[in-house]
Amino acid sequence: MSVIKRWWYERVPVTGDQLREMTNEPVPSHLKRWWFCLGGTPAYLFVVQIVTGILLAVYYQPAPATAYESVRYITEEAAYGWYIRGMHKWAATLMIASVILHQMRVYFTGGYRKPREINWMIGMCLLLCTLMVGFTGYSLVYEQLSYWGATVGANISDTVPVVGGLLKNMMLGGETYNDHTLPRFFVLHAAVLPTTMVMLLVIHVGLIRLHGVTELSDGDEPDDEPAHFNFFPEHFCTELTIGLVLMILLSVLATCLPATMGPPADPLTTPEVIKPEWFFYVTFRWLKLFSGTVAVLTMGLAVFLMFIWPFIDAAIRRYSRYTEASVWIGIVGVFVIVGLTVWEAVVAH
Amino acid sequence: MERNLTPDTDPPDPPRRSFLSAASTAAMGGGLLVSYGLCAAYAARYLYPARDQPTGWMYVAPISRLKKGDSMRYRTPAGAAVSITRQGDTGTVDDFIALSSTCPHLGCQVHWEAQNNRFFCPCHNGAFDPSGQPTAGPPADAGQSLPEYELMIDAGLLFIRVKLVSLG
Repeated sequence: MSVIKRWWYERVPVTGDQLREMTNEPVPSHLKRWWFCLGGTPAYLFVVQIVTGILLAVYYQPAPATAYESVRYITEEAAYGWYIRGMHKWAATLMIASVILHQMRVYFTGGYRKPREINWMIGMCLLLCTLMVGFTGYSLVYEQLSYWGATVGANISDTVPVVGGLLKNMMLGGETYNDHTLPRFFVLHAAVLPTTMVMLLVIHVGLIRLHGVTELSDGDEPDDEPAHFNFFPEHFCTELTIGLVLMILLSVLATCLPATMGPPADPLTTPEVIKPEWFFYVTFRWLKLFSGTVAVLTMGLAVFLMFIWPFIDAAIRRYSRYTEASVWIGIVGVFVIVGLTVWEAVVAH
Repeated sequence: MERNLTPDTDPPDPPRRSFLSAASTAAMGGGLLVSYGLCAAYAARYLYPARDQPTGWMYVAPISRLKKGDSMRYRTPAGAAVSITRQGDTGTVDDFIALSSTCPHLGCQVHWEAQNNRFFCPCHNGAFDPSGQPTAGPPADAGQSLPEYELMIDAGLLFIRVKLVSLG
């Protein structure tokens, strides 16, 4: 045994103690509660997406003439294709939901404050990448709603002043949806965005390790309870448990609510009732309330304010007496987003 | 007597040597940046779609096929849908109007609602009168009409000017 150990150590000169020291970050006790582990949840689901995505790409053909049929083949004919596609669809839904919940948790606990401002901004980039992955993935099915969702999405970028036309042309590969569009969406969905997300995730997690997890206190912790516990194996086991719950949940959802297919895309007929995926309901409703450029610019401004929020919050806390204004602004923001989403969900037009 | 040949400190680089060192570093760095920039420009041009599609006149139908109040759907070679309506009875091109079925708001297809005498876009509730002028929804707020195509009559036949080839 020692011969094998020595052979290995000569080639990988890291001892078990060094490895333990590298991984055993002391974790604050509040992370024993699962809702503080929502950052690891999307990371876990991201891995599920990569694995199931690679499997789906084996049969998927990104061209208007073949895309719908290839998805139908995966769903109806390929062995366990329905399960893999269902996992991919539901993991995407849960990933977006958990990213949003994670961001809300960070926001309402002030986890973005100094010195973690840059990590908040990286998190915002990850949120936007996640939404874009969702948008491009939904478009790949090439059914009616995904076709028109992609058309509307591309035309939204067209309303951005100055660079809008360039963005739209680059996204669609032309002025309108054409044969070059699906391959572009596929490359974005399966290569460009995931690679970008992996790089951002490395920086995101790296900064968390460098800064340490934000110390939070409810004020009702028992005095005899230690303030920290070990990352390995205690917190690692918590993450494993969450992973197991997610796998069960994904399997149940993929089986009981399988990914279905709508009618194939018809570029000459927009359906009477058209809806994007649920996470774009708020955007869709906003676009109905205001004209294109006004809607896009106000949404862009909202995203920009969210992006630089740590600095705005710091200024509010320094120069005004409303030190917890962020909580109330956050509550209003959540109500607006939920309200617009529900509004869009319950009406046809 | 033994002489110490090792100087206490390194002699300063002659100005010519430091200049050449800095110049060659700048040239290599600059060259690298230019080559990356060139590659990026080529990549951007590669990704940007072809422009300037040619347009031309395409035959639609004999004008006698459309009576006053009739309309027909026409699909251009590039795949765009056009709604052509006859609104007059003088036998000239002014009798006809060819409107794009693509909503100028965000690109969805409008459809004709005879009961409301309007074109309606189901995506964001845009509405247009029979001449393509916006009457409700975001297109009305932004003053966006349905794009109109140029028409021509030659020997009793109706022609439309459209883009001739699809990007695909």
